[in-house]
This record gives sequence, structure tokens and C-alpha cells, in this order.
Amino acid sequence: MLQSPYVTNYLTQHFADDGFATLEGYERLGGYRAARKALTQMSPDELIELVKTSGLQGRGGAGFSMGTKWSFMPKDGDRPKYLVCNADESEPGSFKDRIMLERGSHQMLEGILIAAWATGAETTFIYIRGEYAFPADCVERAVAEAYAKGYLGKNVMGSGFSHDVRVTRGAGAYICGEETGLLESLEGKKGQPRKKPPFPAQYGAFGMPTTVNNVETYSHVPHIVDKGVAWFQSFGTPKSPGTTVFGVSGHVARPGLYELPLGTPLAEIVFEHAGGVPGGRKVKGVIPGGMSMPVLPAGQLDVPMANEFLRERKTMLGTGGIIVMDETTCMVRAASVISYFFRDESCGQCTQCREGTGWMNKIIDRIERGAGDQGDIDVLLDVAGKMEGGTICAFADAAAWPVQGMLRHFKEDFVAHIGARKCPFPESFEL
Amino acid sequence: MAKISVDGTELEVEEGRTILQALDDAGLLMNGIDIPHYCWHPKLAVDGSCRLCQVEVEGIPKLQIACDTPVRDGMVVHTANERVRLAREGVMELLLVNHPLDCPICDQAGECKLQDYAYEYGVKSSRTKEPRRALKKRVDLGPTIVFDQERCILCRRCVRFCREIPKTGELSVYNRGDHSVIETFPGAQLDNDYSMNVADICPVGALTTKDFRFKIRVWFLENVPGVCTGCSAGCNIHLGVANNKVYRYQPRRNDDVNDTWICDEGRMSYREIGSADRLDRCSVRDAQGRRVVTSLADAVDAAAGRLAKLVESKGAGVIAGIASAHATNEDLFTFRRFLSALGSETSGVAVVRGEADGILVREEKAANAAGARALGFGDARPVVDRISSGGVDALLVLGHDALLETLLGGADRLAGLDTVIVLDTHASELQHVAHVMFPVRHAAEKHGTLVNADGRAQRVVPAVEPSWEAYTEGELLARIGAAMGLAGFDGRYDVRAVSKELSNAVPAFAGIDLDSVGDGGRALAEGGESR
Repeated sequence: MLQSPYVTNYLTQHFADDGFATLEGYERLGGYRAARKALTQMSPDELIELVKTSGLQGRGGAGFSMGTKWSFMPKDGDRPKYLVCNADESEPGSFKDRIMLERGSHQMLEGILIAAWATGAETTFIYIRGEYAFPADCVERAVAEAYAKGYLGKNVMGSGFSHDVRVTRGAGAYICGEETGLLESLEGKKGQPRKKPPFPAQYGAFGMPTTVNNVETYSHVPHIVDKGVAWFQSFGTPKSPGTTVFGVSGHVARPGLYELPLGTPLAEIVFEHAGGVPGGRKVKGVIPGGMSMPVLPAGQLDVPMANEFLRERKTMLGTGGIIVMDETTCMVRAASVISYFFRDESCGQCTQCREGTGWMNKIIDRIERGAGDQGDIDVLLDVAGKMEGGTICAFADAAAWPVQGMLRHFKEDFVAHIGARKCPFPESFEL
Repeated sequence: MAKISVDGTELEVEEGRTILQALDDAGLLMNGIDIPHYCWHPKLAVDGSCRLCQVEVEGIPKLQIACDTPVRDGMVVHTANERVRLAREGVMELLLVNHPLDCPICDQAGECKLQDYAYEYGVKSSRTKEPRRALKKRVDLGPTIVFDQERCILCRRCVRFCREIPKTGELSVYNRGDHSVIETFPGAQLDNDYSMNVADICPVGALTTKDFRFKIRVWFLENVPGVCTGCSAGCNIHLGVANNKVYRYQPRRNDDVNDTWICDEGRMSYREIGSADRLDRCSVRDAQGRRVVTSLADAVDAAAGRLAKLVESKGAGVIAGIASAHATNEDLFTFRRFLSALGSETSGVAVVRGEADGILVREEKAANAAGARALGFGDARPVVDRISSGGVDALLVLGHDALLETLLGGADRLAGLDTVIVLDTHASELQHVAHVMFPVRHAAEKHGTLVNADGRAQRVVPAVEPSWEAYTEGELLARIGAAMGLAGFDGRYDVRAVSKELSNAVPAFAGIDLDSVGDGGRALAEGGESR
């Protein structure tokens, strides 16, 4: 048994039980009941309607309604339809999908099976980031068990419906988590996002209608089918129902995963659940949803963790990866690390992203080295502005937002560097 | 059809076309309505990555890329307002962040889209204080192309070209982000029959041809429209001319012929114009069999004298002619008129054959094989058979294609003839057997029409002037005919008049002459060689 001091809810309640990762244990705890119900008692349209009504939002970062996404899939035509499970969790600060893959792979598979029945998909591709070797092994084992039991393959559970699942591993690029970058990579090509339209529901994996959902999003589905919309909506906020698995890292006493209802105040997560900053130091800033989301200053931690509230603070829930930085943190240094990541990971197709990420990173590095001047801050903001909204995918936005967030809330750090012509913080690591 | 409005100009355009395609179809792109673009090329798949062609479409909140936005009925597009201007300025500034700005030593300067658009749409000063990325300046990509990685703006036109046109796919983008570079696989080369097109479509000075680079500054070049004569495809070209010399061929867009491409072999055929083996003076064979340089007048007299003597002694039936299918319609028409005025009925055309490649290159390696057939010329084989059977005493040879293995198979077969008169551009074995030799103008040195394999008449114009006293085959035949007193020959030759006469006389050429053909060419009339 895994000893966990951490907060769990319906998704993760059995994660401490090693048996939950096996088919036998999963079924013992009620697993595959929802899939059996869906496949034998519910029509695809009923399921899509159910998930739509539930208000379940995608947990991969964009927060799009899962049921609505399913409804984009064509109802007729003889082209095969595909599902993709996006397990390319590569947003720095996010590590929730990893545990869902390792300890909840049947829960995810059950969600996939229900989604497949709802959308009429014949195959699901589970795309797992290359670094997740152990999680991929866990999923492959679960898939094999499900095939052996007749829960995958031909005539699933005697329903007449057939579904195949294939596990594919990525090769280590952040951009392969973007849904069309993922599709390119899945097809064996270089992971570069596609122009949209056409959207994946028309032209997805191998040119066929495809829906891409995140690991955690799939994992919610069996619970909604099993216990109903009203039960699901008893968690979270009216606009953002359900729980999510927050991953807390950085300067906290108890970094880890916390499954909590959406709308839980950020301060509660940071101070109560994760134990606050150790050593009596104060929080300086918190990134609420993975590295691409703009930072919030210590004064704004009252915000409920749901998109409708976070948007008012010019940030988003993203993947729910919370990164806490205490008062010793040099925000210029943090911005440098963040901008270096995006410079390195930009796929390089679009001009603004390819050149803008590099330019921002070089300017921030120069400021950190003490060679910045007052004009650099304006240039940074201007470049970030030029990168936003004009590219094939949202990567350029994801690279611009954190820099804009740092300058919105911690401009004084930048000004101090420029004024002192050096970094006023103790050097904690080499850039 | 969809009605759209671009900057207030109403257009009726084909449904399903993108904004850029619709403007291109209408001939307005960068010619009235300017939407600058790098990655988009009319003949390659849409890439959508340079982001320079962003325009405002009413009703859509974000700016849209014109290269990938299909037209819709009622669409209203703005390409020049402040919002679009700022977006372009942003992209241009970012494209220049890592550009080396080495224009003074860059061969593309003067025909560089980065220069042009930076001037037109860019910011006028640089805000970058950071070092620019240092990359390889001289990558030897293969036998024809040199690559400067620093200048590359990663529009990927070259990558798509290699994948889509020759389908060889040698080039790829390696790495990511601002460390992306275009390269070949390790050990592989950019080596295909169309490789040099990548230098044409490269908007900057990253890809240059080994042949042309550093030969001359492009602003000294005049681009003369012409036609490649390497095969019967009749690819449209620009001849880059300066100092009365052709420095390069570049493909000239013609969607009915070669799109925007030309094969490497055709491109390099410009070298034959100024080559060392060009014939540049008349010669006659003296009594001892030696070739003696002579004046044009003496050569004309010698040719006329020999032919007249034969007609008198044996009749015109012993005179035959073989023309190369490289000759223009006007020259061939005059050739046929000359032979019939003489009374000879034995003539044919020699066509070099080779392999077609299914892209541009055609099987017939001559620019005017279809034109010759449309004029009524048959193959030269029967003429050669008649020579073998001893029925020919005098042969007029226009161009050394007659030496083909399938025809004469060498000059020896002509050694026993009483008279061999050669009109040719380049030296060949024929000089050992010719009794009279005349140098003639190359297709790049004269007016004329040529008909390509698809039955399209196209024109050539003089791009350069030979340094010697040079004439066309038609002009020389006119003089020889006059010297012999042949009916209809007074020594004068006006290629325009001949072209009109030809147009009136040959039904396939109805309405087609030097003036009416234009720079884009025209299909021959029904019943001609048209497809």
C-alpha cells in the first residue's frame, strides 16, 4: 500500500491500493460497471448528451467541453473514426497524468471505451510521452488485461461493438502535447502543429475523424456515467463541475498531488494541503496551471481555482500544475528559465514563435546578467504582444503569457536588475 | 463563383480558392493588391508558417492568413489598414532578428524579398542588441546549390519543392525553434534534375546556384522573355542579359507550359549561346578540299553557283534538304519555300529523341518539332534513304541534328555528294564535308516562333547580338534564292512579314504570328498539333 497523506476524491481514492491498477482489483472496486451500462443500455447520442450536460471540461489545459468535442465527430460516412488519449504530459509543473496512468490505467481505459462507443471510434491511440517509460508499461499491461478479458477487441462485453487500443510513445517534444502536433508525431512525422481548419474531427489521425482528450478527462467519464450528472455537479463550481488533480510543486512543505473540487481557493491548496512554504518564508508568486500560465502574486491567492475566476486575474487553470515560489525567488531568473524552455521547445514553423521565443529569452538573460536597460522591458512586452494570437497553434501564446505575467506582477524585480546592473538575489543555480 | 471585396475592389472568384489564389488568378497579387508573403508559392502546397500574409476579414476577430483562408461569398478583406500594417511590421521585425544583414556580400541583393518587404513593410530601425545566430555560411548542398544557413528565413519553400515537384525530398528542417536549420540527411546531397529551382524560389539569399553566384550583380541584368530550346516542352524563361551576354536562364511563369519551373539541363543550356564552338564566319571548300574563310557574299555566290549548276545539269530532283527541328517556323517555312522554288521535293526534319521525365522534360529534344510537323515536314529518314540509294547530289543541312545516329549517323555519308551546304550555329563534323558553311543565329539572337509538344506557339526575341555578321537561316536562304534568281526571292527578308505569310498560308497557324503570339504563347488552331 502506498502511504498517502494527500487529499483524494473519486478519481484517486483507490490509488493507494496496488490492486486498483489491475483489472481484477479495478473490477472488485466497481470498475467497468459504467462501461457495461453505456455499451448495453445507452445510445451514443444519450452518452454525448450526458457528458455535455455534465459540463465536464477538458483537463489537458484548454478546458474545452468534452461532450461538445465529441459531438463534432461525424455521425455518418464510412471513414474510420479514431480517438486519441493525450498522455504526452509535458507541461512543466504538471505530473497528474503520470499517476493516473500508473495507478488508474483501467479507469482511463474505461473512460476511453465509453468515449469510443459514444463517438463510434474503432481505434484509440494512447500517445504517451517517451520519458514516461513506467507509466507506459502500466498502460500496456492494463490494455493487455482488457483484451484478455474481452473488454477490448472484437465484440466488447458481448455488445457487438469492437474497439482497439494502441499504445504509442512520443520521443520527447513538448509540442507533441498540442493535439495536432501529437497527430503528426503519431503518424511518424515531425511533431509540428497543423493548420486549422480542418479540425481533427474532420481530418485527424491519418486523415480520419479524430477526437483528442486528455488522460484525466477520460478518467472522469466512468464516474459520470455511473453516478450521474447531479452527483458530478455536486463537486466544483456551477461553471466548472467536478474535481481535478492539482499537482503542487516548488517551495512548499508537501509537494504532491491533491484531488480537490474545481473552485477550491488557491490559498487553501498551497497553505492547508501542501503545507505552505517551509522555513517560515513568505510566498512571492504562484503559477496556477503549468508553466505556460501567467503567475499570480501572493496577494491574489484567494482566487478559486476554476477558469471563470482565474480568467478575471488574467491567468488560467491550464493543467492544474501549481508552482509555488517563495520570497527568495528571483523572478527574472524564473522568467529566464521559463523563456528558455519555450525557446527550446518551439517547433519553429511560425515566424513569431520561432524568433520571438528566442529573442525574449535573450533579452531576459541579458537583464539577469545585469546588462539590461530600461527600454528592454518595453521591447519584451512588445515582442510578447506580437507573438500572441497570430500563429498556427497556441504555443506562441503559451510562451508570451508567462513573460507578460512576470512583468505584470513582478516588474520591480526587472527594474531592480536594470538599476543595480546585476541580479540582486543570491545566485541559486547556473543559468 | 463567389463575390469578394478586397480593399474595395470587387472580384468574382472561383469557390474554394484561397484569398491569395483568388488574387493570383485575377493577376492582382503584388500587382495592384499587395499581400506580401514568403512561404506561400502559387505552385506549392500551402504552409501557412511565415505569417506575413495576415489580412483582416470582416466578421472574423483574429487576422487571417490570406494563403490559407478560402474565399466565401460576400467576404470583405482589408489588406492595408493599420492593424494589418502593424502585424506585418511585427513579422518583418522578427524575421530580421537573426538575419545577418550581409546584403553587401549577398548575391540575392537586388532581387531579395527580405530586402524588398523590409523596405516596404518593415520597421526602419533595429531594436535587437542580442548576438545573431551564427551558422554555416557555405553549405555545399550538392552539385548545383550552395546554402547559407544564416540567411535562411525557414519559409520551407525549398523543402516542399523537393517533396512535391521532383519528389526526391532531399531537404528537411532539422531541429526546432530558433535553432531550426534546413539540411540534407547526413551524407546525402541535393541532387535532382530540377535542383536549381530552389534558388529561384528562395526568397532570400540562402540558396544560390553555383553556376550564377558572384558572376554579376543582378541589377545589371535585363530580363528578356524567351523560350528554352532544350526540348519540346518549350519552357518559358527569362534570359538574364548584361554586356551583350547571357548570364543565366530563369524560369518565367506560364501556367500552360512550365508553371514556374525549368529543368537543370534546360537552365544550363544558356551556355551554348556564347560557347567557344559557335560558328562565326562563312567558309567554302577550295579545290584542294581545304576550308577557306570567306565573305558572306562569296559564300552566298558559291552556294548559289553550285546549286544552279546542278539544277542545270541534273534537274532539281537531285537536291534535298534536312532541317533541324530547332529551326523556327519562319526559318522552316522559308526553307520549304526555297526548296519548292528550286523544284526539289525531298526534305525532312531531324528530331533528336531522348527520355521524357513526366515532369517537364519531353522526349523530343528540339524546340520546334511540333511546329515542323504542323508546317508539313516529315521525318528526315526518307531523305537519308534517298542519299544512300544515290538519288541525291546536293544536300542543304540546317543544323547538325541531321548527324543523328538514326539518320546520317555521321558526316561520312555525305562525303561523296557533289554539294553540301550547311547553315548551323555550332561547329560539328559537318565542317569536314560541307562545301559551303554559314553561321546562323541562335534562338536567343533572333525573332521567331516555336511550337512546343502541346501545340503551343511561342516566340523568341533577340536577347543578345552576336559579335560577328550574323543572319538567320531564313535571311541566308533569301539571299541564296535571290542569287539563283528563284521566283519569289529578291534577297530581302523580313521575319515579321514571313510570319504573317506563314500564318495565312498554313491553316494550323491561323491567327498566329510573331506579334499575336505574345509573351505567353498561343495554342495552334484545331487540326494543328494541338492537344
